[in-house]
Amino acid sequence: MTRSRQPGGGPGFSRRRMLTGAAVLLGGAFAAPALSGCTQAAASGVTNLSYWHLLSGGDGITMATLVADVEKELGDVSVDQTVLAWGAPYYTKLAMAAAGGRAPDIAIMHASRVTGWAPGGLLDPWDLDLLAEFGVSEDTFKPRIWEKGFTDDTLYSVALDSHPFITFFNTEVADKAGVLKSDGTLIDTSTPDEFIDMALEMQAVTGQHGLSWGYLNDGAQLWRLFYTFYKQHGADMVLETGKPAQFDEDAAIESLEFMTKLVDGTVAATNSDINNGIAEFAGGKSGMLFSGVWELRTLQDAGVPFDATTIPTLFGTPAVYADSHAFVLPHQSNPDETKRRAAYEFMSTLLKGSIKWAGAGHIPAYLPVIDDPAYAELLPQAHYADAADLINYDPPAWFTGSGSDFQNYFLDAIQGVMLGGTTPQAGFASFISRIDTLLSKPNPVTA
Amino acid sequence: MTDTASTVKVSRSNRPRENLTGWAFIAPLGILFILFMLVPILWGLYLSFTNQSLTGAGGDLVGFDNYAEALADPDMWRSMLNTVWFTVLSTIPLVVISLALALLVNTGLPGQWLWRLSFFMPYLLASTVVSLIWVWLYNPQLGLFNAILGWFGIDPVTWLQDPDLAMLSVVVTTVWWTIGFNFLLYLAAIQNIPESQYEAASLDGAGRWRTLTSITIPQLGSTTIMVVILQLLASLKVFDQIYQMTGGGPAGTTRSAIQYIFESGFTGFRFGYSSAISYIFFVLIIIVSVIQFRITARRSA
Repeated sequence: MTRSRQPGGGPGFSRRRMLTGAAVLLGGAFAAPALSGCTQAAASGVTNLSYWHLLSGGDGITMATLVADVEKELGDVSVDQTVLAWGAPYYTKLAMAAAGGRAPDIAIMHASRVTGWAPGGLLDPWDLDLLAEFGVSEDTFKPRIWEKGFTDDTLYSVALDSHPFITFFNTEVADKAGVLKSDGTLIDTSTPDEFIDMALEMQAVTGQHGLSWGYLNDGAQLWRLFYTFYKQHGADMVLETGKPAQFDEDAAIESLEFMTKLVDGTVAATNSDINNGIAEFAGGKSGMLFSGVWELRTLQDAGVPFDATTIPTLFGTPAVYADSHAFVLPHQSNPDETKRRAAYEFMSTLLKGSIKWAGAGHIPAYLPVIDDPAYAELLPQAHYADAADLINYDPPAWFTGSGSDFQNYFLDAIQGVMLGGTTPQAGFASFISRIDTLLSKPNPVTA
Repeated sequence: MTDTASTVKVSRSNRPRENLTGWAFIAPLGILFILFMLVPILWGLYLSFTNQSLTGAGGDLVGFDNYAEALADPDMWRSMLNTVWFTVLSTIPLVVISLALALLVNTGLPGQWLWRLSFFMPYLLASTVVSLIWVWLYNPQLGLFNAILGWFGIDPVTWLQDPDLAMLSVVVTTVWWTIGFNFLLYLAAIQNIPESQYEAASLDGAGRWRTLTSITIPQLGSTTIMVVILQLLASLKVFDQIYQMTGGGPAGTTRSAIQYIFESGFTGFRFGYSSAISYIFFVLIIIVSVIQFRITARRSA
């Protein structure tokens, strides 16, 4: 999927791409004229940026709109988008491009993955002074989100959003179940039992389940809920190469035990993947759905009456799992200064227009956008905007983060616990032993 | 005879030029083979002795460290055993059932084209399509199989999430998907058996079963050897459908050797280690091939 805007050419098929394609077809004989065509475009005042990201579906469409808006606003920057599949395909290709020094000018990464990449020289740092010149600085972000961009004292990523795990609830079901406060929000629940009681009230209304959530064959979904409850214990998980994992076993076991209580077949389905979960909630057959903010569009399209809120604090400490889509500068051996500057300009303009990105459900990271009255009018988005203060990223290590093998290892060890074949103790021990093995080996990113 | 003699004479007088022509003809393939097979194979062997990372870091020689680590790595052994287990589970039905289907179709049923088409059609589908269809069929909540079980009052089964069932479920999908190829090979071979043999057998009063065991199956011997070899090699290389259907889970029970190689190198960044595992896998395939060769050599002797 590529879009491009160049003088004399409409959106759609990029001229550069066509010329390159023709050059390839003709055995490279015309490579030189094709390249000079490209330089001419640059000389005419338009800087062409290559931009890679992993946003597909509704997110991809929203991003394409944002990019088009930025191109229109700036006039002298055109952007070639390359969209790759979420997870291993994207990160593998981006790592190889950066390792080869011929990376795209700008790219999106999950903030949780940056930690693993920055020390390996795969990313070039952002220049704080130049960022400030474009209106992007520490005071335009919430501290947790801004600080996540740093590795040691260097800024490697600038967040576009935060996308926490949240609770969607069916307003009609909740109303009938009598679990709404007078202002239309869910009643407060502060212990696991209170939460289960509330879910059972909703189950009595739907006749099927009180809560929808899915984890089958999906390490990401499983990890997101686990880490939310684990962090609500005020517990930490520290993963340092060369040392065994440091964690709070009681908090982990208690979280897992609570999760197995949820999937008892009444509160929530025992054997459900996230697609079943979404279908169930969208069909009005459950009162709540645990999933990421990115599901907002799907639920709106389904026409189910719903609102959203943060996941209730059931273990004492307000906390929720989240990640951020963040802009990075993949390493280039010989960065072109004009393009670098254009990348800063493109990024900052996109941040400033990210109210549209909030439409897709994500919480914009750029504070002036959240503080804008237009955001407060955006519902249910404004109802969970406070989640941005509670978010917790994956424990930093070269192998953790969204779309990483870490989440698959968690799935390997914990799916059996959810299905009832393994005890939480045994499941978690097997997960930790896998992580300890990884930690005992040298970090291959800096090998 | 004269024709042959003259050909030989011509080829002798023109040997140097003809050699040159021969080389020219194989040159494109030869160059591609060297560039895309030989060089990567040797480069991979070299990498297996280094700590090369996908990120470009490392690259120092580490001797046999990667091999020592791999041989002591339970995940590596597990992925190898999973692959062998998949090969055993899939090869037997893919040979036996394809033969049975070919024999059935060959009995002269009406609508031959329909049978051939329906058995072969799944083979034409992309692995992604096949995986998508079967993941839905196996879906514990909305899948067809559990719906059928539900009619008989049987509880839903987690086909792809139960460690005891996941591999079997993937094998069933694989058989459905790939059986058409073996089926066609068998069908062609059956149709090549001379009709006269069957006529002779029927004159001698042989029944259907006797004809099958004494004529058809022995005549298919060389086809069976070929089908088994092709199937073993194809099954050992399994990756796509497993990766897409279970991602190697639950708890690593379906993780194939190729997937472990892929994960070590591309998502785990360790090219050196990944290369070492590929060479161990390479040796495993050679061992299987040698055993296979011994068995078939004895049979044909």
